[in-house]
Amino acid sequence: MNGPFSFNLPTSGRMTSWSRWWLWAAVGMAVSLMWTVAFVPWWAALGSGLCAVLTLTVLAFYARKQDETTPRAGEEVLEGHDAKQVLEQVDALMSPSKDIEQIPQVDEVLQSMAADNQRRRVDDLMRRWVDVGQRYAEAALVLRREIQSVIKQTEQATGTIASSFEAVINKATIQARQAMELLEGTQGAASDGVPQSLKDFIQVSDERLNKMADEVVRVADLSVNMVRELDGVQNRTQAIDGFLLDVEKLAEQTSLLALNAEIEAARVGEHGRGFSVVATEVRRLSKRSHEFSDRIRVHLKEVRTGLSKTHGDMRTLSAADMEHALKIKDDVIALTRSLEGKNREVAETVSRINAISKEIAQDVQNVVVSLQFQDITSQKLSGMLEPMDELRSTLYHLMQETVNLDKGLFKNLPGSENWLSHMHDDPAAEVEVKLTKNPEQDLRKVHGATGSGPAVELF
Amino acid sequence: MATILTVDDTASMRQMISFTLSSVGHEVIQACDGHEALMLLKGKKVDLVIADINMPNMDGITLVKSLREQADYKFTPILVLTTESQESKRQQGKVAGATGWIVKPFNPEQLLNVVKKVLG
Repeated sequence: MNGPFSFNLPTSGRMTSWSRWWLWAAVGMAVSLMWTVAFVPWWAALGSGLCAVLTLTVLAFYARKQDETTPRAGEEVLEGHDAKQVLEQVDALMSPSKDIEQIPQVDEVLQSMAADNQRRRVDDLMRRWVDVGQRYAEAALVLRREIQSVIKQTEQATGTIASSFEAVINKATIQARQAMELLEGTQGAASDGVPQSLKDFIQVSDERLNKMADEVVRVADLSVNMVRELDGVQNRTQAIDGFLLDVEKLAEQTSLLALNAEIEAARVGEHGRGFSVVATEVRRLSKRSHEFSDRIRVHLKEVRTGLSKTHGDMRTLSAADMEHALKIKDDVIALTRSLEGKNREVAETVSRINAISKEIAQDVQNVVVSLQFQDITSQKLSGMLEPMDELRSTLYHLMQETVNLDKGLFKNLPGSENWLSHMHDDPAAEVEVKLTKNPEQDLRKVHGATGSGPAVELF
Repeated sequence: MATILTVDDTASMRQMISFTLSSVGHEVIQACDGHEALMLLKGKKVDLVIADINMPNMDGITLVKSLREQADYKFTPILVLTTESQESKRQQGKVAGATGWIVKPFNPEQLLNVVKKVLG
């Protein structure tokens, strides 16, 4: 029925009160109008007929509206999908209507119409109920497969992560150990006087270079002493010069005395000859004494020249030594400082590596704890499979009961028996299913995941 | 260092236990369920067993009971490492003869401390 002006006769089995009534009225009206044609002009009869048809149409339309707005009992039942509720409603509908029983004088037409209505509704209800059951059963199967796939995939992924993590940690451990060995080598203790570490090397070289510098300073001091001694020797030679002058003076006086003695001896004459010989010898000795004195002075001069040269050399030497020694000492101090700086850096690096190793150890603990959640979630997911299987089983039994309720009702349902058996014994459902022996355990795992008690307990 | 058997049906759990224990020098052997554990223990003596509860083929409680029936394993420490934390389960483990109960996830340091304690 598409609109108010479509007056096609209702389809069989759906003949309602208003349509039947309209049909009979129209036929009666037509017959009475045909009879009047003989007495009134044809156009008057046609006009009356059209008026009558219009009135009837309005009445029929009103009657149909009334019929449509009457609520159909039981339609709202399917709003909720609770299986038990639906079954109760179906039972209620299938039982003979009390209302109909209570009215003994019910019109035959109305009774047949009510029965027809009910049958149609139950039919529709069943169709929808079976559809819902089927879809839920299918969804449960899909969920089961998905859960199993998730469990498997996370297990594989976690396995790979765990292996890689282990490899990384092992390599990091080796790396840290080698770095520490390398660095600790520069921090180690000396053995057999040979420096093993940078620290010892610095200490030993510092000691030795200091010793050398001290030696150089000592040598320079000695040189200064020697210069001072040489000065003393030079003063002594000057004193010798003075003594030589005295000797020469003495020789000259002796020579003059001898000359006087010779003159006196010549005056005495013959008696004085012997004395004259002695005087001549004395003069000769005096002369030789002078000569000796001269030769000594020459030698002494050479000695003084030599001494003076040595004195200069010694002075230069001691100054140069001192300067050199001081420079070496400064260099050694600078070098030592620099090496000490490097050594401190090494020590700092070692402590940093130690700190990082500790941090890594903490991170490792966190990762080990986190990776275990794969096992925990897998167990929880496995625990979900059991209630889901129970749901499928319940659905199956409900469907079975529905089918047994009235086999006739299901003749119109497409392949209901087929999918019901499929639902119960789906081979895919049991493939790769790892159910624990105790389903209660699985349920508890789902519900009792947040249990009480200490994390570790020794009995 | 000790030889320790870890029994768990999850590979990553076995890996984590093995990783943690070998880091301090223990030798660790692995079994994926109670049945395999019993087979392994026939040929080898271990100092400690760490077992899960929920496993296919043979669960942890049954394994503990079976081990306690053997003369060799009457006094060997057996630690249960499981997601189960209910008091009833703990009691079941205690009665079966388990030495201790550790709830997953374990903390490596904590596990090493417990292992050290039970190994004496």
